[in-house]
Amino acid sequence: MDKVAIIIPVYNESEVIHSVIESVSKTFNYIVCVDDGSGDASSEEIEKTDAYLIKHPINMGQGAALQTGIEFARTLPVDYFVTFDADGQHRLQDAVNMVKILKSQKKDIVLGSRFLGSTIGMKKSKKLMLKLAIIFSNSTSGIKLTDTHNGLRAFNRMVAETIQITVPDMAHASEILEIIKKNNYTYTEVPVTIEYTDYSRAKGQGLVNAVNIGFDTILRKILK
Amino acid sequence: MILIIQILVVVIAVAVALISLVQRGTYFGKAWKKIFLVALSVLMIVAVLFPNVTNGIANMVGVGRGADLLLYVTVLAFIVYALNNYLNQQEQRDRLFRLARRVALMEAKEKNKAKK
Repeated sequence: MDKVAIIIPVYNESEVIHSVIESVSKTFNYIVCVDDGSGDASSEEIEKTDAYLIKHPINMGQGAALQTGIEFARTLPVDYFVTFDADGQHRLQDAVNMVKILKSQKKDIVLGSRFLGSTIGMKKSKKLMLKLAIIFSNSTSGIKLTDTHNGLRAFNRMVAETIQITVPDMAHASEILEIIKKNNYTYTEVPVTIEYTDYSRAKGQGLVNAVNIGFDTILRKILK
Repeated sequence: MILIIQILVVVIAVAVALISLVQRGTYFGKAWKKIFLVALSVLMIVAVLFPNVTNGIANMVGVGRGADLLLYVTVLAFIVYALNNYLNQQEQRDRLFRLARRVALMEAKEKNKAKK
């Protein structure tokens, strides 16, 4: 696909990042990888490919990595932007489909939803946690979605130029929804498939982090 | 008669007030923080030299003893301090992250120039 930049935040993904980039590059020309201060050989693996590499000097979190990737991608000759997880749990055909919908329905941003689509190998505890996160996010962000913590998103240049993610850690998923509401972006959800592997499960987030995210989100709401 | 504790508290309070007035660093830079610390020093001196004053205020607001009132005020002050500290820390972190992002983007730009 021409004129699409795919943005991949990377943190300690040296095992899989090379093959993820290889498969993504068959479809997309512009791949932007943000190495978020990995302690392993992620950067070296990315440098073996044609992807653009931006290296954070310190670990700052996925939200910060996304913002960096978006800011870099603005300088590329592209019209559309896709965020994609590095651990291989997203499907490329879903990303392609989302860009097509972005174009045909003329939305500002298209969000992937595993609960409209399907999941492979999701544990019950993970599902419960996500459902709670959805209830929480929907009540704090002001927009209603079926999946609030999905890393697969596609958006146009207007969104890329105006979005400003300030929450560095995983709570950025909720913040992006608040930004959609605040900036009145038009949006739609698209069913996607998420495939959990042992690898992606091990990299997933725990319950303790969910508590942190909840606390920070509420504090941000109060202080606004 | 003057107790040892009274001398100690007065000396510490005066030291805190003086340090806060003399400091020119960023933390003490804000005027309201100086005012707060000087006021706190004055309160410390008053509380230790004239215990009846805190007792009187405590009775006025419905607390049994002056010592209890001081405890409540201390706990409240600590919570405000902790929250303030947390927010300051986040602000510092945001600054650091913005700087790091600029560095990362500049570096990437250089590298891409070299590529071409």
